[in-house]
Amino acid sequence: MIAAAASPGVWPLLRIWMPQLLTAAQGTLRMTAAAFAIAAVVGLLFGLARLSRHRMLSRFAVGYIEVVRGTPALTQLFLIYFSLPSVGIVLRAFEAAVIGLGLNGAAYLAEVYRAGIQAIHRGQREAAYSIGMTHLEAMRFIILPQAVRIVLPPMANYAIALLKDTSIASLISAPELMLRARDLSSEYFMPMRLYLTAGLMYLIMAYPLSRAVRFLEYRLSHGR
Amino acid sequence: MTGDPWGRTLAKLPEIARGLLVGAVTTIQVTTGALAVAIVLGIVFAVLKTAPSRPLRALATAYVEVFRAVPVLTQLFVIYFGLAGIGIKLNPLPAAIVGFGINGGAYLTEVFRAGIEAIHQGQLEGAFSIGMTRPMAMWYIILPQAVRVVLPPIGNFAIGLLKDTSIASAVAAPELMFRARSLVEATFLSTQIYLMVALLYLAMSLPLSRAVRHLEAAMGRGHQA
Repeated sequence: MIAAAASPGVWPLLRIWMPQLLTAAQGTLRMTAAAFAIAAVVGLLFGLARLSRHRMLSRFAVGYIEVVRGTPALTQLFLIYFSLPSVGIVLRAFEAAVIGLGLNGAAYLAEVYRAGIQAIHRGQREAAYSIGMTHLEAMRFIILPQAVRIVLPPMANYAIALLKDTSIASLISAPELMLRARDLSSEYFMPMRLYLTAGLMYLIMAYPLSRAVRFLEYRLSHGR
Repeated sequence: MTGDPWGRTLAKLPEIARGLLVGAVTTIQVTTGALAVAIVLGIVFAVLKTAPSRPLRALATAYVEVFRAVPVLTQLFVIYFGLAGIGIKLNPLPAAIVGFGINGGAYLTEVFRAGIEAIHQGQLEGAFSIGMTRPMAMWYIILPQAVRVVLPPIGNFAIGLLKDTSIASAVAAPELMFRARSLVEATFLSTQIYLMVALLYLAMSLPLSRAVRHLEAAMGRGHQA
Protein backbone atom coordinates (compact mmCIF):
# COMPACT_ATOMS: atom_id res chain seq x y z
CA MET A 1 0.00 0.00 0.00
CA ILE A 2 2.74 2.40 0.96
CA ALA A 3 4.75 1.38 -2.06
CA ALA A 4 1.71 1.86 -4.29
CA ALA A 5 1.26 5.41 -3.07
CA ALA A 6 4.91 6.33 -3.27
CA SER A 7 5.98 5.01 -6.64
CA PRO A 8 4.00 5.71 -9.80
CA GLY A 9 6.49 3.86 -12.01
CA VAL A 10 5.98 0.21 -12.79
CA TRP A 11 9.65 -0.85 -12.76
CA PRO A 12 10.32 -0.41 -9.03
CA LEU A 13 7.13 -2.33 -8.36
CA LEU A 14 8.06 -5.10 -10.74
CA ARG A 15 11.29 -5.49 -8.82
CA ILE A 16 9.24 -6.19 -5.70
CA TRP A 17 6.65 -8.33 -7.46
CA MET A 18 8.77 -10.44 -9.77
CA PRO A 19 10.64 -12.53 -7.18
CA GLN A 20 7.32 -13.39 -5.53
CA LEU A 21 5.59 -14.11 -8.84
CA LEU A 22 8.50 -16.24 -10.03
CA THR A 23 8.40 -18.29 -6.85
CA ALA A 24 4.66 -18.69 -7.34
CA ALA A 25 5.21 -19.73 -10.97
CA GLN A 26 7.40 -22.53 -9.66
CA GLY A 27 4.38 -23.64 -7.64
CA THR A 28 2.34 -23.61 -10.84
CA LEU A 29 4.94 -25.77 -12.59
CA ARG A 30 5.22 -28.16 -9.65
CA MET A 31 1.44 -28.47 -9.47
CA THR A 32 1.24 -29.09 -13.23
CA ALA A 33 3.95 -31.77 -13.11
CA ALA A 34 2.45 -33.58 -10.13
CA ALA A 35 -1.12 -33.49 -11.46
CA PHE A 36 0.10 -34.62 -14.87
CA ALA A 37 1.89 -37.59 -13.33
CA ILE A 38 -1.30 -38.66 -11.53
CA ALA A 39 -3.39 -38.12 -14.66
CA ALA A 40 -0.96 -40.11 -16.82
CA VAL A 41 -0.85 -43.12 -14.49
CA VAL A 42 -4.48 -43.19 -13.34
CA GLY A 43 -5.60 -42.36 -16.88
CA LEU A 44 -3.76 -45.39 -18.23
CA LEU A 45 -5.47 -47.62 -15.65
CA PHE A 46 -8.89 -46.27 -16.62
CA GLY A 47 -8.07 -46.45 -20.32
CA LEU A 48 -7.12 -50.12 -19.98
CA ALA A 49 -10.12 -50.81 -17.73
CA ARG A 50 -12.41 -49.30 -20.32
CA LEU A 51 -11.09 -51.69 -22.96
CA SER A 52 -11.19 -54.63 -20.59
CA ARG A 53 -13.33 -57.64 -21.42
CA HIS A 54 -14.63 -57.64 -17.87
CA ARG A 55 -17.99 -55.94 -18.11
CA MET A 56 -17.99 -54.53 -14.59
CA LEU A 57 -14.54 -53.08 -14.98
CA SER A 58 -15.23 -51.37 -18.28
CA ARG A 59 -18.59 -50.05 -17.04
CA PHE A 60 -16.94 -48.61 -13.97
CA ALA A 61 -14.34 -46.90 -16.16
CA VAL A 62 -17.01 -45.49 -18.50
CA GLY A 63 -18.97 -44.19 -15.51
CA TYR A 64 -15.91 -42.51 -14.05
CA ILE A 65 -14.96 -40.91 -17.37
CA GLU A 66 -18.48 -39.63 -18.08
CA VAL A 67 -19.07 -38.18 -14.62
CA VAL A 68 -15.68 -36.52 -14.35
CA ARG A 69 -15.84 -35.08 -17.87
CA GLY A 70 -19.43 -33.97 -17.32
CA THR A 71 -18.69 -31.79 -14.30
CA PRO A 72 -16.44 -28.74 -13.90
CA ALA A 73 -12.95 -29.22 -12.48
CA LEU A 74 -13.72 -26.37 -10.09
CA THR A 75 -16.66 -28.28 -8.58
CA GLN A 76 -14.41 -31.31 -8.19
CA LEU A 77 -11.76 -29.24 -6.45
CA PHE A 78 -14.37 -27.80 -4.08
CA LEU A 79 -15.67 -31.27 -3.27
CA ILE A 80 -12.17 -32.51 -2.51
CA TYR A 81 -11.03 -29.49 -0.55
CA PHE A 82 -14.18 -28.40 1.29
CA SER A 83 -16.19 -31.62 1.55
CA LEU A 84 -13.68 -34.38 2.20
CA PRO A 85 -12.86 -32.94 5.65
CA SER A 86 -16.41 -33.84 6.72
CA VAL A 87 -15.54 -37.51 6.20
CA GLY A 88 -12.25 -37.06 8.00
CA ILE A 89 -9.93 -36.51 5.03
CA VAL A 90 -8.20 -33.16 5.44
CA LEU A 91 -5.89 -32.15 2.63
CA ARG A 92 -3.80 -29.04 2.23
CA ALA A 93 -4.88 -26.82 -0.64
CA PHE A 94 -1.89 -27.72 -2.82
CA GLU A 95 -2.42 -31.46 -2.33
CA ALA A 96 -6.13 -31.14 -2.95
CA ALA A 97 -5.42 -29.26 -6.18
CA VAL A 98 -2.89 -31.84 -7.37
CA ILE A 99 -5.19 -34.76 -6.59
CA GLY A 100 -8.28 -33.01 -8.01
CA LEU A 101 -6.66 -31.88 -11.24
CA GLY A 102 -4.89 -35.22 -11.56
CA LEU A 103 -8.05 -37.30 -11.18
CA ASN A 104 -9.86 -34.89 -13.51
CA GLY A 105 -7.14 -35.25 -16.15
CA ALA A 106 -7.17 -39.03 -15.76
CA ALA A 107 -10.65 -39.12 -17.30
CA TYR A 108 -9.47 -37.13 -20.32
CA LEU A 109 -6.25 -39.10 -20.76
CA ALA A 110 -8.13 -42.40 -20.39
CA GLU A 111 -9.93 -41.55 -23.63
CA VAL A 112 -6.64 -40.53 -25.25
CA TYR A 113 -5.07 -43.88 -24.32
CA ARG A 114 -8.14 -45.77 -25.47
CA ALA A 115 -8.01 -44.07 -28.87
CA GLY A 116 -4.28 -44.77 -29.10
CA ILE A 117 -4.66 -48.44 -28.25
CA GLN A 118 -7.58 -48.90 -30.60
CA ALA A 119 -5.60 -47.29 -33.40
CA ILE A 120 -3.09 -50.16 -33.34
CA HIS A 121 -4.01 -52.78 -35.91
CA ARG A 122 -5.49 -55.87 -34.28
CA GLY A 123 -3.15 -58.04 -36.33
CA GLN A 124 -0.42 -56.89 -33.95
CA ARG A 125 -2.28 -58.35 -31.01
CA GLU A 126 -3.14 -61.56 -32.83
CA ALA A 127 0.48 -62.01 -33.84
CA ALA A 128 1.52 -61.49 -30.19
CA TYR A 129 -0.96 -64.16 -29.07
CA SER A 130 0.22 -66.51 -31.79
CA ILE A 131 3.78 -66.44 -30.49
CA GLY A 132 2.41 -67.34 -27.06
CA MET A 133 2.11 -63.97 -25.32
CA THR A 134 -0.59 -63.41 -22.73
CA HIS A 135 -3.01 -60.49 -22.95
CA LEU A 136 -0.93 -58.46 -20.50
CA GLU A 137 2.34 -59.25 -22.26
CA ALA A 138 0.87 -58.25 -25.60
CA MET A 139 -0.26 -54.93 -24.11
CA ARG A 140 3.03 -54.28 -22.39
CA PHE A 141 5.46 -55.27 -25.16
CA ILE A 142 3.50 -54.88 -28.41
CA ILE A 143 0.52 -52.55 -28.18
CA LEU A 144 1.52 -49.83 -25.71
CA PRO A 145 4.97 -49.11 -27.22
CA GLN A 146 3.30 -48.44 -30.56
CA ALA A 147 0.43 -46.49 -29.04
CA VAL A 148 2.90 -44.08 -27.42
CA ARG A 149 3.59 -42.46 -30.81
CA ILE A 150 -0.12 -41.76 -31.21
CA VAL A 151 -0.90 -40.54 -27.71
CA LEU A 152 2.17 -38.32 -27.25
CA PRO A 153 0.82 -35.19 -29.02
CA PRO A 154 -2.62 -35.20 -27.31
CA MET A 155 -0.93 -35.87 -23.96
CA ALA A 156 1.33 -32.88 -24.49
CA ASN A 157 -1.66 -30.75 -25.45
CA TYR A 158 -3.34 -31.85 -22.25
CA ALA A 159 -0.25 -30.82 -20.27
CA ILE A 160 -0.48 -27.31 -21.73
CA ALA A 161 -4.18 -27.05 -20.91
CA LEU A 162 -3.39 -28.32 -17.41
CA LEU A 163 -0.71 -25.66 -16.94
CA LYS A 164 -3.39 -23.01 -17.51
CA ASP A 165 -6.07 -24.87 -15.53
CA THR A 166 -3.91 -24.89 -12.40
CA SER A 167 -4.92 -21.22 -12.15
CA ILE A 168 -8.31 -22.31 -10.78
CA ALA A 169 -6.50 -23.90 -7.84
CA SER A 170 -6.11 -20.32 -6.60
CA LEU A 171 -9.85 -20.46 -5.84
CA ILE A 172 -9.18 -23.02 -3.13
CA SER A 173 -6.17 -20.85 -2.18
CA ALA A 174 -3.53 -23.32 -3.33
CA PRO A 175 -0.20 -21.52 -3.65
CA GLU A 176 0.46 -20.86 -7.33
CA LEU A 177 0.85 -17.93 -9.70
CA MET A 178 -2.74 -16.67 -9.79
CA LEU A 179 -3.07 -16.71 -5.99
CA ARG A 180 0.13 -14.68 -5.60
CA ALA A 181 -1.10 -12.21 -8.23
CA ARG A 182 -4.40 -11.86 -6.37
CA ASP A 183 -2.68 -11.34 -3.03
CA LEU A 184 -0.35 -8.72 -4.50
CA SER A 185 -3.30 -7.10 -6.21
CA SER A 186 -5.16 -6.66 -2.95
CA GLU A 187 -1.97 -5.35 -1.39
CA TYR A 188 -1.03 -2.81 -4.10
CA PHE A 189 -4.42 -2.08 -5.69
CA MET A 190 -3.01 -2.46 -9.19
CA PRO A 191 -5.05 -5.32 -10.61
CA MET A 192 -4.47 -4.43 -14.27
CA ARG A 193 -0.68 -4.45 -14.03
CA LEU A 194 -0.56 -7.55 -11.87
CA TYR A 195 -2.97 -9.67 -13.88
CA LEU A 196 -1.37 -8.61 -17.15
CA THR A 197 2.01 -9.58 -15.68
CA ALA A 198 0.60 -12.92 -14.56
CA GLY A 199 -0.94 -13.41 -18.00
CA LEU A 200 2.39 -12.69 -19.64
CA MET A 201 4.07 -15.25 -17.39
CA TYR A 202 1.54 -17.92 -18.36
CA LEU A 203 2.12 -16.98 -21.99
CA ILE A 204 5.88 -17.37 -21.56
CA MET A 205 5.37 -20.81 -20.02
CA ALA A 206 2.66 -22.10 -22.35
CA TYR A 207 3.56 -20.69 -25.76
CA PRO A 208 6.95 -22.39 -26.24
CA LEU A 209 5.32 -25.64 -25.09
CA SER A 210 2.55 -25.37 -27.64
CA ARG A 211 5.08 -24.61 -30.40
CA ALA A 212 7.00 -27.70 -29.35
CA VAL A 213 3.85 -29.81 -29.50
CA ARG A 214 3.02 -28.55 -32.97
CA PHE A 215 6.55 -29.48 -34.06
CA LEU A 216 6.09 -32.92 -32.47
CA GLU A 217 2.76 -33.40 -34.22
CA TYR A 218 4.33 -32.44 -37.53
CA ARG A 219 7.30 -34.77 -37.03
CA LEU A 220 5.13 -37.70 -35.99
CA SER A 221 2.68 -37.27 -38.84
CA HIS A 222 5.39 -36.74 -41.49
CA GLY A 223 7.81 -39.17 -39.90
CA ARG A 224 6.90 -42.06 -42.13
CA MET B 1 -22.31 -27.43 13.01
CA THR B 2 -24.42 -29.85 14.94
CA GLY B 3 -27.10 -32.16 13.67
CA ASP B 4 -27.27 -34.63 10.85
CA PRO B 5 -26.19 -32.79 7.68
CA TRP B 6 -28.38 -34.89 5.39
CA GLY B 7 -31.38 -34.19 7.59
CA ARG B 8 -30.65 -30.49 7.53
CA THR B 9 -30.21 -30.66 3.77
CA LEU B 10 -33.65 -32.23 3.46
CA ALA B 11 -35.15 -29.53 5.67
CA LYS B 12 -33.56 -26.76 3.61
CA LEU B 13 -34.02 -28.51 0.28
CA PRO B 14 -36.58 -26.06 -1.17
CA GLU B 15 -34.34 -23.08 -0.44
CA ILE B 16 -31.19 -24.82 -1.73
CA ALA B 17 -32.89 -26.19 -4.83
CA ARG B 18 -34.35 -22.81 -5.73
CA GLY B 19 -30.97 -21.11 -5.35
CA LEU B 20 -29.19 -23.71 -7.42
CA LEU B 21 -31.79 -23.77 -10.18
CA VAL B 22 -31.70 -19.97 -10.49
CA GLY B 23 -27.91 -20.32 -10.71
CA ALA B 24 -28.21 -23.00 -13.38
CA VAL B 25 -30.36 -20.69 -15.50
CA THR B 26 -27.67 -18.01 -15.22
CA THR B 27 -25.05 -20.63 -16.15
CA ILE B 28 -27.01 -21.31 -19.32
CA GLN B 29 -27.27 -17.57 -20.00
CA VAL B 30 -23.53 -17.05 -19.57
CA THR B 31 -22.82 -20.09 -21.75
CA THR B 32 -25.12 -19.04 -24.60
CA GLY B 33 -24.02 -15.39 -24.41
CA ALA B 34 -20.33 -16.28 -24.45
CA LEU B 35 -20.92 -18.86 -27.18
CA ALA B 36 -22.55 -16.20 -29.37
CA VAL B 37 -19.64 -13.78 -28.83
CA ALA B 38 -17.12 -16.57 -29.47
CA ILE B 39 -18.82 -17.64 -32.71
CA VAL B 40 -18.88 -14.09 -34.08
CA LEU B 41 -15.24 -13.47 -33.11
CA GLY B 42 -14.28 -16.92 -34.40
CA ILE B 43 -15.79 -16.27 -37.83
CA VAL B 44 -14.29 -12.77 -38.09
CA PHE B 45 -10.79 -13.85 -37.12
CA ALA B 46 -10.94 -17.04 -39.21
CA VAL B 47 -11.79 -14.95 -42.26
CA LEU B 48 -8.88 -12.64 -41.34
CA LYS B 49 -6.60 -15.62 -40.83
CA THR B 50 -7.32 -16.94 -44.31
CA ALA B 51 -7.15 -13.46 -45.88
CA PRO B 52 -4.58 -12.64 -48.58
CA SER B 53 -3.32 -9.65 -46.54
CA ARG B 54 -0.35 -10.47 -44.38
CA PRO B 55 -0.92 -7.91 -41.55
CA LEU B 56 -4.49 -9.16 -41.15
CA ARG B 57 -3.28 -12.74 -40.93
CA ALA B 58 -0.66 -11.72 -38.37
CA LEU B 59 -3.30 -9.92 -36.30
CA ALA B 60 -5.53 -13.00 -36.26
CA THR B 61 -2.60 -15.26 -35.39
CA ALA B 62 -1.57 -13.02 -32.49
CA TYR B 63 -5.14 -13.03 -31.15
CA VAL B 64 -5.34 -16.82 -31.28
CA GLU B 65 -1.91 -17.47 -29.79
CA VAL B 66 -2.16 -14.98 -26.92
CA PHE B 67 -5.68 -15.81 -25.80
CA ARG B 68 -5.11 -19.55 -26.00
CA ALA B 69 -1.90 -19.40 -23.98
CA VAL B 70 -3.29 -17.50 -20.99
CA PRO B 71 -5.73 -19.03 -18.46
CA VAL B 72 -9.31 -17.87 -18.84
CA LEU B 73 -9.32 -17.02 -15.11
CA THR B 74 -6.51 -14.53 -15.69
CA GLN B 75 -8.43 -13.03 -18.60
CA LEU B 76 -11.56 -12.71 -16.47
CA PHE B 77 -9.59 -10.98 -13.72
CA VAL B 78 -8.09 -8.52 -16.22
CA ILE B 79 -11.55 -7.71 -17.57
CA TYR B 80 -13.34 -7.54 -14.23
CA PHE B 81 -10.76 -6.32 -11.68
CA GLY B 82 -8.18 -4.87 -14.07
CA LEU B 83 -10.60 -2.68 -16.02
CA ALA B 84 -12.32 -1.61 -12.81
CA GLY B 85 -8.91 -0.52 -11.53
CA ILE B 86 -8.56 1.90 -14.42
CA GLY B 87 -12.12 3.18 -14.14
CA ILE B 88 -14.08 0.86 -16.45
CA LYS B 89 -16.54 -0.94 -14.20
CA LEU B 90 -18.36 -3.90 -15.74
CA ASN B 91 -21.03 -5.90 -13.99
CA PRO B 92 -19.99 -9.49 -13.25
CA LEU B 93 -22.38 -11.04 -15.76
CA PRO B 94 -21.34 -8.98 -18.83
CA ALA B 95 -17.70 -9.29 -17.74
CA ALA B 96 -18.02 -13.09 -17.68
CA ILE B 97 -19.79 -13.19 -21.05
CA VAL B 98 -17.20 -10.91 -22.66
CA GLY B 99 -14.30 -12.74 -21.02
CA PHE B 100 -15.40 -16.24 -22.00
CA GLY B 101 -16.50 -14.91 -25.40
CA ILE B 102 -13.11 -13.39 -26.26
CA ASN B 103 -11.29 -16.42 -24.90
CA GLY B 104 -13.53 -18.83 -26.79
CA GLY B 105 -13.23 -16.77 -29.96
CA ALA B 106 -9.54 -17.70 -30.09
CA TYR B 107 -10.40 -21.40 -29.99
CA LEU B 108 -13.24 -21.11 -32.49
CA THR B 109 -11.03 -19.10 -34.88
CA GLU B 110 -9.00 -22.27 -35.39
CA VAL B 111 -12.18 -24.32 -35.77
CA PHE B 112 -13.61 -22.00 -38.41
CA ARG B 113 -10.24 -21.70 -40.17
CA ALA B 114 -10.11 -25.48 -40.48
CA GLY B 115 -13.72 -25.40 -41.70
CA ILE B 116 -12.95 -22.78 -44.34
CA GLU B 117 -9.83 -24.59 -45.50
CA ALA B 118 -11.77 -27.84 -45.77
CA ILE B 119 -13.90 -26.33 -48.53
CA HIS B 120 -12.47 -27.04 -51.93
CA GLN B 121 -10.51 -24.18 -53.52
CA GLY B 122 -12.63 -24.54 -56.66
CA GLN B 123 -15.64 -23.18 -54.76
CA LEU B 124 -13.85 -19.89 -54.14
CA GLU B 125 -12.62 -19.73 -57.73
CA GLY B 126 -16.11 -20.46 -58.99
CA ALA B 127 -17.49 -17.64 -56.84
CA PHE B 128 -14.86 -15.23 -58.19
CA SER B 129 -15.59 -16.30 -61.76
CA ILE B 130 -19.23 -15.27 -61.45
CA GLY B 131 -18.08 -11.87 -60.24
CA MET B 132 -18.33 -12.19 -56.45
CA THR B 133 -15.96 -10.25 -54.24
CA ARG B 134 -13.97 -12.08 -51.58
CA PRO B 135 -16.31 -11.11 -48.69
CA MET B 136 -19.33 -12.11 -50.79
CA ALA B 137 -17.77 -15.45 -51.67
CA MET B 138 -16.98 -16.05 -48.00
CA TRP B 139 -20.48 -15.17 -46.84
CA TYR B 140 -22.56 -16.87 -49.54
CA ILE B 141 -20.39 -19.76 -50.70
CA ILE B 142 -17.70 -20.80 -48.24
CA LEU B 143 -19.16 -20.24 -44.76
CA PRO B 144 -22.51 -21.99 -45.41
CA GLN B 145 -20.60 -25.07 -46.50
CA ALA B 146 -18.11 -24.78 -43.65
CA VAL B 147 -20.97 -25.01 -41.12
CA ARG B 148 -21.18 -28.76 -41.70
CA VAL B 149 -17.54 -29.19 -40.78
CA VAL B 150 -17.50 -26.89 -37.76
CA LEU B 151 -20.76 -27.89 -36.06
CA PRO B 152 -19.43 -30.90 -34.08
CA PRO B 153 -16.33 -29.09 -32.75
CA ILE B 154 -18.49 -26.09 -31.82
CA GLY B 155 -20.75 -28.48 -29.92
CA ASN B 156 -17.75 -29.88 -28.05
CA PHE B 157 -16.58 -26.35 -27.34
CA ALA B 158 -20.01 -25.47 -25.93
CA ILE B 159 -19.84 -28.42 -23.52
CA GLY B 160 -16.41 -27.32 -22.32
CA LEU B 161 -17.69 -23.76 -22.01
CA LEU B 162 -20.71 -24.81 -19.95
CA LYS B 163 -18.39 -26.33 -17.35
CA ASP B 164 -15.81 -23.54 -17.56
CA THR B 165 -18.42 -20.91 -16.71
CA SER B 166 -18.12 -22.21 -13.14
CA ILE B 167 -14.91 -20.14 -13.04
CA ALA B 168 -17.05 -17.02 -13.45
CA SER B 169 -17.98 -17.51 -9.79
CA ALA B 170 -14.56 -15.98 -9.05
CA VAL B 171 -15.73 -12.65 -10.47
CA ALA B 172 -19.03 -12.95 -8.57
CA ALA B 173 -21.19 -13.73 -11.61
CA PRO B 174 -24.29 -15.27 -10.00
CA GLU B 175 -24.12 -18.59 -11.85
CA LEU B 176 -24.51 -22.10 -10.44
CA MET B 177 -21.13 -22.35 -8.72
CA PHE B 178 -21.43 -18.88 -7.21
CA ARG B 179 -24.89 -19.62 -5.83
CA ALA B 180 -23.56 -22.87 -4.42
CA ARG B 181 -20.69 -21.09 -2.70
CA SER B 182 -23.03 -18.59 -1.05
CA LEU B 183 -25.41 -21.37 0.00
CA VAL B 184 -22.49 -23.27 1.52
CA GLU B 185 -21.43 -20.18 3.42
CA ALA B 186 -24.95 -19.86 4.81
CA THR B 187 -25.59 -23.53 5.62
CA PHE B 188 -22.12 -25.21 5.89
CA LEU B 189 -23.57 -28.13 3.90
CA SER B 190 -20.62 -28.23 1.50
CA THR B 191 -20.72 -31.94 0.60
CA GLN B 192 -24.45 -32.01 -0.05
CA ILE B 193 -24.57 -28.77 -2.02
CA TYR B 194 -21.48 -29.40 -4.17
CA LEU B 195 -22.74 -32.90 -4.97
CA MET B 196 -26.03 -31.39 -6.11
CA VAL B 197 -24.08 -28.89 -8.18
CA ALA B 198 -22.14 -31.71 -9.82
CA LEU B 199 -25.43 -33.48 -10.61
CA LEU B 200 -26.87 -30.32 -12.13
CA TYR B 201 -23.82 -29.85 -14.37
CA LEU B 202 -24.08 -33.51 -15.37
CA ALA B 203 -27.76 -33.06 -16.16
CA MET B 204 -26.88 -30.15 -18.43
CA SER B 205 -23.73 -31.53 -20.08
CA LEU B 206 -24.62 -35.19 -20.66
CA PRO B 207 -27.57 -34.49 -23.01
CA LEU B 208 -25.38 -31.97 -24.83
CA SER B 209 -22.57 -34.45 -25.31
CA ARG B 210 -25.06 -37.08 -26.46
CA ALA B 211 -26.36 -34.59 -29.01
CA VAL B 212 -22.86 -33.79 -30.21
CA ARG B 213 -21.99 -37.46 -30.61
CA HIS B 214 -25.18 -37.86 -32.60
CA LEU B 215 -24.26 -34.86 -34.72
CA GLU B 216 -20.78 -36.25 -35.34
CA ALA B 217 -22.24 -39.52 -36.50
CA ALA B 218 -24.77 -37.72 -38.67
CA MET B 219 -22.09 -35.55 -40.24
CA GLY B 220 -20.41 -38.71 -41.37
CA ARG B 221 -16.99 -38.13 -39.93
CA GLY B 222 -15.68 -37.95 -36.41
CA HIS B 223 -13.91 -35.02 -34.93
CA GLN B 224 -10.59 -35.32 -33.14
CA ALA B 225 -10.84 -33.34 -29.94
